[in-house]
Amino acid sequence: MRLWKDNMFHLAKIIILSILDALAVWSATILFTEHKFIFLIILIFITIIINYIYLSKKAYPLRYILPGTFFMILLVVYPIIYTVYVSFTNYGTGNILTKDQVIEQLENKYYLPENTQDFSFNAYKIPDQNKYAVLLDKDDNGYLLGIDQQIEEITDNDPRLTDKNNDGTFDQINDYQILSRANLIKSLSQLQNIEYQYKDNILKMKSISLFSLYRQQYKYISAEDKIHDIKNDIFYTPADGSFASPSGEKLLPGYRSFLGWKNYIKLFTDDRVSTPFLRVFIWTFEWAIISVLSTFALGLFMAILLNDNELRFRKFYRIILILPYALPAFISVLIWRGLLNTEVGVVNQILQTLSIDKIPWLQSVFWSRFALIIINLWLGFPYMMLISLGALQSISGDLYEAAAIDGATPFQRFRYITLPLILVSLGPLLISSFAFNFNNFNVIYLFNEGGPPIVGAQTPAGGTDILISYTYRLSFESGRGSDFGLASAVSILIFMITAVITWFNFKYTGALEEVKENV
Amino acid sequence: MKKYLILFLALAMFFSFTALISASEEGKLLIWADENRIKVLNTVKDQFEAEYGISIEIQEKAFGDIRDNMAVGGASGEGPDIIVGAHDWLGALVSNGLISPIELGDKKDDFYPVALEAFSWGEDIYALPYAIESVGLIYNKNIIPDPPKNFTTFETIVKNVTDKKKEMYGFIMPQPDPYHTFPFMSATGGYVFGLQEGVLNPLDIGLNNDGATLGLQKLDKLYEDGYIPFVDYQTMTSLFTNGQVGMMLTGPWALPALAEAGIDYGFTQLPHIEGQPPKPFVGVQGFMISAFSKNKILAQAFLNEFIANKETMMALYEEGSRPPVYIPAAEEVADNPDMAGVLESAADGIPMPSIPEMASVWEAWSDALELVLTQKQDVKPALDNAVAQIEKAIKSSQ
Repeated sequence: MRLWKDNMFHLAKIIILSILDALAVWSATILFTEHKFIFLIILIFITIIINYIYLSKKAYPLRYILPGTFFMILLVVYPIIYTVYVSFTNYGTGNILTKDQVIEQLENKYYLPENTQDFSFNAYKIPDQNKYAVLLDKDDNGYLLGIDQQIEEITDNDPRLTDKNNDGTFDQINDYQILSRANLIKSLSQLQNIEYQYKDNILKMKSISLFSLYRQQYKYISAEDKIHDIKNDIFYTPADGSFASPSGEKLLPGYRSFLGWKNYIKLFTDDRVSTPFLRVFIWTFEWAIISVLSTFALGLFMAILLNDNELRFRKFYRIILILPYALPAFISVLIWRGLLNTEVGVVNQILQTLSIDKIPWLQSVFWSRFALIIINLWLGFPYMMLISLGALQSISGDLYEAAAIDGATPFQRFRYITLPLILVSLGPLLISSFAFNFNNFNVIYLFNEGGPPIVGAQTPAGGTDILISYTYRLSFESGRGSDFGLASAVSILIFMITAVITWFNFKYTGALEEVKENV
Repeated sequence: MKKYLILFLALAMFFSFTALISASEEGKLLIWADENRIKVLNTVKDQFEAEYGISIEIQEKAFGDIRDNMAVGGASGEGPDIIVGAHDWLGALVSNGLISPIELGDKKDDFYPVALEAFSWGEDIYALPYAIESVGLIYNKNIIPDPPKNFTTFETIVKNVTDKKKEMYGFIMPQPDPYHTFPFMSATGGYVFGLQEGVLNPLDIGLNNDGATLGLQKLDKLYEDGYIPFVDYQTMTSLFTNGQVGMMLTGPWALPALAEAGIDYGFTQLPHIEGQPPKPFVGVQGFMISAFSKNKILAQAFLNEFIANKETMMALYEEGSRPPVYIPAAEEVADNPDMAGVLESAADGIPMPSIPEMASVWEAWSDALELVLTQKQDVKPALDNAVAQIEKAIKSSQ
């Protein structure tokens, strides 16, 4: 019985693996035809590893960590590597395509020469074969017949042409049968790529009913890595992600290219970054610290109240207090923004009935920072309350009993028992909360888009901009639109800043763990 | 067993991921359109499929996402054949190499030249345009029977109607909002980028010239004296639909909601300043063909035959409430006073600059408006500073 079951499992494994391999082969052919060779190599590599691990007895233990490792690489390691890679390129508006794509596009640019001419046409096809012919009407001057990649001038007496029903339209050319309109449309994707060399020009399809004379405008000279503008006889050479003429004129579109450290150098030398950096950095720090401390203080306070067994309606309070956490921040921040509207907001209207002047919540640096901290307190304390409630449960009641016998006041019990014990378990969470708020783009951006603006500022860094929202402005709302290269460089820099701060924090909480051993 | 099954499903998903994404394929049209265009396109799709025997797939995307997704999906060959978009995307799309020129043939003469101009880049036209829009003065006929034609009358009306105690306002516009404020700055000579040999020059910025300063000063006076509240778009429209506002400055997109709320409104040109007409930004919407489409001729045939006709253009007009630029359809709606108002405003307007450098302009300009209109800084220094910021941002990207 046991053996039978094992065999069944083995069989299932083989079936699944073979389906997987079949899928891999299928994907590989797609990747191969699309010339995505790097992905192809990775695919083959992964498939071999999977097969080896699940078929070899030696690799048995690896079976259990393979799925996890696979997804970690896919979802964590790959994006990081990609970000680092992008930070060394000029990827952004104007430089989206690869160089090969740009060359292909340029070579496919045609212009209409002065003596251009439109021809109406009929298309012909050998049934069941992928061979086409076209007959272009030269308006009483005979015809142009495009057949077998050649174009020739013919008259309507040409023996190859047959007009079966004598209606003036030739229905057949050799074995080629005329295409009805419906069939012509089905064949468009092939027909549109047909080109004939005709005298100095190229004959190709202009629209569904016309062929026209064109000329190619650009030719890529691969030996010299140059683009030749045939029309104007200018040579364009590669320069910083686009082809440029000697007079500095750039051909559109540009392409992605490797910049080296240029994005990083820009970060440290561009005064658009350096001037507001200190101001923004200090506020980011203040924002993160105050956010963590205020939410933790309020959350812990609420948790201690809720932890009191003598409190009635505890469940009700708990639900009410968790609500801000349950609502999506995207909505609640926008609601706060409306409440705090200077002219028509409810808060200012209430203040006015109390004869207090309107407070410029969104227009003054001080008040918008103040408002942001209140909003984040509202948004963040339920989380702190939840984790504190959990941590409070784990503190043994004996400790409090012993303290009470020793005559400790409630504050002393909190200061010397609750707080140290709670910090041990919550320390790491506070640090991650700090890192989260350090990069809390949503609240800042949704509330006031980093504003209000600052009088006389050299850059649009606003009064509540934190590093990440300022980065967003720099990389996506200035220059030529999106600058993913610069954005990646900044995010790596911010990652380093956060990493250093977190490292110091962990050292600090590492010290706290010794408290635990002492207790 | 279950574990294997999950693993299998996950891997299968990953491997087939590239293949499953809809992309431009030969012999089938894929269109990215926004919610307002979907309904019309679905009707056209049925006609096209019946006549041509070729299927069309229409994917709905938020308007702004269409442009952003083109930059990612279009370039990797996963984009559509046709997109619906606005002319001010042109700079970014062309310099990214994501769209290709369109051949309109004889149909060219059926469109307002200004609409084709907005979609031109170099010698090529990059879209089949369908609608035009620009901001103007929307007024509540019950409060203001006779809209002002010049700025002096405008001022008087604003001062007479505004009564803060009753929460009545003569005039409101969204702020800080460069797009909506531009007509006041352009009437007397302000501009964003100067023209140099027919091409916009990103290094010639006219937002702090005498004309721009003068216009903004005139507007600011009304803010300074407390006649106009500093509010955003949502607040403006909700006050207007409550009947608390005499006039507001915005575009035809606000009209359907007003009609629904039963407001008796009119749409007219903004008051002239010193005898000069205000020049709002004109926006044109159109259908563009992806540079990565494998069906360019087919896409062109679809647009020329099934979109560029009176019936479709009228349907697009009814869903979008913006005047058509296809002349046979435009003639049809000429007697609609709202659309006549939009066309009148647009006639004096200038196409919104479509060069990618425009991205550097909005933020700094918007900051200056906020500082000026909340009385933190005077007009001239604020605009000078904004222009300095814009120049810096543009230079750092070159």
